[in-house]
Amino acid sequence: MTAVQPQTDLITLTIDGFEVTVPKGTLVIRAAEQLGIQIPRFCDHPLLSPVGACRQCLVDIEINGRAFPKPQASCTIPVENGMVVKTQLTSEVAHKAQEGVMEFLLVNHPLDCPVCDKGGECPLQNQAMTSGRGESRFEGKKRTFEKPINISSQVLLDRERCILCARCTRFSKEIAGDPFIDMGERGALQQVAIYEKDPFDSYFSGNTVQICPVGALTGSAYRFRSRPFDLVSTPSVCEHCASGCSLRTDVRRNKTLRRLAGNDPEVNEEWNCDKGRWAFQYTMVKDRIATPLIRENGVLREASWPEAIAVAANGLQGKKAGVLVGGRATVEDSYAYAKFARATLGTNDIDFRSRPHSDEERDFLAAHVVGSKVRYSDIDTADHVVLVGFEPEEESPIVFLRIRKQVRKRALSVTAISPWQTRGFKKLQAKYIGVAPGAEGNALAQLSLTNQSVIVVGERLCESAGGLSAVAELARKSGAKIAWVPRRAGERGALEAGAIGNLLPGGRPISDAAARVDVAAAWSIESDSIPTSAGSDSKAIFAAAARGEIKALVIGGVDPFDMHAPDFAGLESAFVLSLELRPSAITERADVVLPVAAVTEKSGSFMSWEGRTRSFEQAVPETPHQSDLYILSLIAEALGKPLGFSTVRGAAKEFGTLANWDGARASFTSHPVANAAQGVTLASWRQLLDNGSLQVNEPNLAGTARKAVARINAQLAAKLGVANGDLVTISTDHGALSLNVELSDLVDDVVWLPRNAVASQSLRMLGVLNGAQVNIRKGL
Amino acid sequence: MSELEPKRAIDGAAEESIHIPIAGPASLFTQLKGFWVTFAAQFKKVTTVQYPEVKEPTAPRFHGRHQLNRHPDGLEKCIGCELCAWACPADAIYVEGADNSDEQRYSPGERYGKVYQINYLRCIFCGLCIEACPTRALTMTNEYELADDSRKKLIFEKEDLLAPLRSGMLQPPHPYYPGTDDQDYYHGRVTEAHPSQEQK
Amino acid sequence: MSKLTPVLSAHWDEPDSFTLAGYQRHGGYNAMKKALDMDADAVIALVKDSGLRGRGGAGFPTGNKWGFIPQGDNKDHYLVVNADESEPGTCKDTPLLMANPHVLVEGVIIASYAIRAKHAFIYIRGEVTHVTRRLLQAIEDAYKAGFLGKNILGKGFDLELTLHIGAGAYICGEETALLDSLEGFRGQPRLRPPFPAIAGLYARPTVVNNVESIASVPAIIEKGAEWFTSLGTEKSKGFTLYSLSGHVNNPGQFEAPLGITLRELLELSGGVRSGHRLKFWTPGGSSTPIFTDAHLDTPLDYESVSAAGSMLGTKALQIFDETTCVLRAVLRWTEFYKHESCGKCTPCREGTWWLVQILRDLENGKGTEADLAKLLDICDNLLGRSFCALGDGAASPIMSSIKYFRGEYIAHLTNGGCPFDPVAATLFASSKAGA
Repeated sequence: MTAVQPQTDLITLTIDGFEVTVPKGTLVIRAAEQLGIQIPRFCDHPLLSPVGACRQCLVDIEINGRAFPKPQASCTIPVENGMVVKTQLTSEVAHKAQEGVMEFLLVNHPLDCPVCDKGGECPLQNQAMTSGRGESRFEGKKRTFEKPINISSQVLLDRERCILCARCTRFSKEIAGDPFIDMGERGALQQVAIYEKDPFDSYFSGNTVQICPVGALTGSAYRFRSRPFDLVSTPSVCEHCASGCSLRTDVRRNKTLRRLAGNDPEVNEEWNCDKGRWAFQYTMVKDRIATPLIRENGVLREASWPEAIAVAANGLQGKKAGVLVGGRATVEDSYAYAKFARATLGTNDIDFRSRPHSDEERDFLAAHVVGSKVRYSDIDTADHVVLVGFEPEEESPIVFLRIRKQVRKRALSVTAISPWQTRGFKKLQAKYIGVAPGAEGNALAQLSLTNQSVIVVGERLCESAGGLSAVAELARKSGAKIAWVPRRAGERGALEAGAIGNLLPGGRPISDAAARVDVAAAWSIESDSIPTSAGSDSKAIFAAAARGEIKALVIGGVDPFDMHAPDFAGLESAFVLSLELRPSAITERADVVLPVAAVTEKSGSFMSWEGRTRSFEQAVPETPHQSDLYILSLIAEALGKPLGFSTVRGAAKEFGTLANWDGARASFTSHPVANAAQGVTLASWRQLLDNGSLQVNEPNLAGTARKAVARINAQLAAKLGVANGDLVTISTDHGALSLNVELSDLVDDVVWLPRNAVASQSLRMLGVLNGAQVNIRKGL
Repeated sequence: MSELEPKRAIDGAAEESIHIPIAGPASLFTQLKGFWVTFAAQFKKVTTVQYPEVKEPTAPRFHGRHQLNRHPDGLEKCIGCELCAWACPADAIYVEGADNSDEQRYSPGERYGKVYQINYLRCIFCGLCIEACPTRALTMTNEYELADDSRKKLIFEKEDLLAPLRSGMLQPPHPYYPGTDDQDYYHGRVTEAHPSQEQK
Repeated sequence: MSKLTPVLSAHWDEPDSFTLAGYQRHGGYNAMKKALDMDADAVIALVKDSGLRGRGGAGFPTGNKWGFIPQGDNKDHYLVVNADESEPGTCKDTPLLMANPHVLVEGVIIASYAIRAKHAFIYIRGEVTHVTRRLLQAIEDAYKAGFLGKNILGKGFDLELTLHIGAGAYICGEETALLDSLEGFRGQPRLRPPFPAIAGLYARPTVVNNVESIASVPAIIEKGAEWFTSLGTEKSKGFTLYSLSGHVNNPGQFEAPLGITLRELLELSGGVRSGHRLKFWTPGGSSTPIFTDAHLDTPLDYESVSAAGSMLGTKALQIFDETTCVLRAVLRWTEFYKHESCGKCTPCREGTWWLVQILRDLENGKGTEADLAKLLDICDNLLGRSFCALGDGAASPIMSSIKYFRGEYIAHLTNGGCPFDPVAATLFASSKAGA
């Protein structure tokens, strides 16, 4: 970093005879860490406010010759000049105090380490060995409780083991803003408790399991599955959203048993969301596609790899083709798709957006997003954050945590433009501007920002015509930064890799001749072999296939129901090559299905919403599966136009040479804000935990998902004559769905539905997007 | 090397001690001495064991095949804690724990060993696993006949290692002895199965 | 009776002492009028000059505490009166409020005026229902008389006074736990700094004072700092309420200058239960190390008691005669601390749990002399290691009782149980003996 570090006051103190200089405000316990002196601790956590409850970190402190009369908790005392600290290493008093506290902690701690999931990686076990007496002198009766109780479907609480450090309750209150657990009772009977009618349904509850220094909080999914010495840990990156969390994947005998939040101060700090932590069974489900399948007489049959590759190549040979990448491909895989489309199939008809999208969005991405470097740290220094088309807690939880941190720390002002004032917005103390879906652009035009402000734009703003144009205009006017946050982990990487019709890798506009020459040279192909006009988007590719203009489709990991009313006719008539993990609506109709490796089974990288490259290694050592790019390289080879790489490393190296483009970016023409629809309009987005395909086989996780309800405000409820809990039916020409009503803080004449709950898949069941007019009636 | 030739010493120190007698009265005596040993042996107690027709008992603490013990009512003592696997210097033990429930109870308490394997191709019979076991579930028998014709057969599964059901025991899973809990099992207060424990 | 200096308790014997009329008959609320005519800083200076020290136990100078409140910070200030009196043996605020609630109300008005608080709170223990009723009535009467509310006596000073009834947790007598409880949270001590003077109630500068401290203020305003400093000792100025309880013939409140001795107080209270002699006593409630008859002549001021190895605390003198088993008394106190430990910090939560079990065993004659060493070591690990002073209070009686009565502890072991007849220590035993 060449940036000038901000000037901070430094304090020099002595710990165990060694001088150390640390910034003002540092706690003694962390100053000692700088010297490699480990003071034992339980309640202390660097990201939580100090509490001083466990008293394990007692040390002797003297300031300018005046000693504190009794040992002090080093996790609560900030350093001062002239301070002399004696830890357990040099002070007999501190040593005895720590031994005494450890003995107290073990008085009521059960001796059930053999059945405890924390055994082997337990701070209490470890510190009892380093800082405790060899034997306990306690001969009395321990307090007992009923063994584990579910405080949510995914978190178990064993109150006997709890040492009441309050890390979990402080995390929930301070970091997550979900104070659903708190201490109850008092004295030795004190315990972590939930309100009986309100379980611990926080999206961040898994972090409490990770920071629990004993085995009091354990995850249902990992219960009794393994011991730490069985596990092989691999640093990983979360594939569930664009937040870019660093993770640790723990594998035992080729089975992923758990995932933990990694420590990356620049991105997720030490936290992650429950989906990232607990949704990984999808890689191990029984119906994973194990071998290549080819369609013969209308039925898919197993085939060998050489046969399947040959059939695939044959099917693609000489046909006008379209490529749909899906939003979950790694950067390297996306790059392979992008190159495969241009260099092998000779088309620009490629799109990674297997979700509602618009031309306005495509132009916006090319002009304002690709190559941009807005970071989490820009939230840290922002004077104002505007959220539009984006509910951070549901759609990118770590962005939510980061904004909330700044709201708590320095009262960062947040504005939310949305049809519904969600609980997440309230936790951010956001100024709520209620707008009907589709009218976000009008609200944006009213705002005034500075060049320190950040506009956080969700991908679903593209459903409001003119919304992204308003964002671009606001940013131009004020100099505010634009942070575009897609939902899926692969989208930003796919954009940069050129897996979209109007861009080549590195954000090179397809219309720019110099860009085409640049790429063609890197690929060693004729520069005129890259088509000069922008390709079709996903929806247009399906439509063209239905019309018979596109005769072959390469589809990687796309669920057609994620898109706005897709036209399956194209799938029936065209040759379809599907690269998939599990059977889907695409594989049902595909001519060739090739199994691919899941994220844990390959290496690669994702790009977070910031455009930050997040590389990861293969976590599961033995797998029969291959990455998309390897399979594409085989097909390209068979087609006689090889990709020129067949490994992740090779793809990454080649993309590296193309990743930066210093030429002109695409220009952007504003789109007008559409006129609002009449009558009741639909608002809808995905929630963090829903019916997503990467969340299969996770009953514990699903237990904490939000209940699927139709949300309307009191005004609309009165008009319909419904009360809280009544059933309503929402319908369009396409279909209908029925849900119970929950009265919420919405704007008038809007009904909000979850987009992908089991009972409410609005795209599939209603076939309309945000802002569309829907019919709503009481009852079925 | 001919038998008549003096054996060439490999190193100097042994040279003079090697001397092969050729003939003479002294050699006859030596030969008789040899025959005497053979002759006298006829009247000694025979130590040869006619294995496998005859099987001698081992020393009482001989380290033989492992056994997973049961509580007196048939519940398993193993809690699936993996401490044996942790202690094993040869990495011969593989354990997976699982959750007991009131409907499917294999052992007292929360946890039981769902998968339990000992690989006798690896095991060195050191007994460290026995010392590590917190519930005395794992002990060693005196059984030493551990040879087979495939590697797979020498990986013993839980069914192979579990102690047989003796009289008064019931095959788990089954519920606790009526009116007891895990503490009663650990303190030895359950002495036999009760008819009501039969799994419905 | 010459030793007594009844000021707070001067008119307790009058039947209407608790009414506004009864209070005003003896010049009640005159000090308030005087104070409201003074400059607020002058009131603080006067209290500082008087040398009044907090009567809640720690003995911190009251005027200094008021002076810590940052003035001109454009923040709300609060005065909180700690009436959560719940330590075993301590019984001064409850009778004071029962007999004369108006003196507290007047003190609150003066103190709030001095620290520029517009809202004051009295946090009272929930169990003392009668006191609560009288105090509520007194506050209502004060509002009606125009002593509380908007523009008091036309002097442009506004004050709201809220009575908050606690739920009966000992820990809520700790000032920061009290503030948490008052805010509606779980009563557990807060981490300091920040101190309440900077960020107290609702994170605003707050003064937390004991009932008796605040109730002493009107007399100081009325009679001046010099009058107050003329009483008491060099560093412990003024008068205070000594509460005698237990094996004394005439238990109750004795208002006397600081520095009086137990011998003198016993003379005033008719001596130790007839036919018996003093065995041990607490100088300031159950959490202060105990004294024996060797300390009869220790002056009961902050410095002398501290020098003798205990604390003046709340001046709750519990007198125990020779019929009392010290182990039994200490066990009952320890059971109290175990019950009242809030659970926040490890040493207090687990230590009291453990101490009770050991003491119960000792009382039943189980254990060895080595257990005494263990007991002392556990106390050593508890004393000064806990988050607040509750842990210290739990360790003090055990450590001091073993210091003075080690032989009696051992007698339990050799005797195989308690050598005392518990009935002999009861009041009905004494009445039988007297009859």
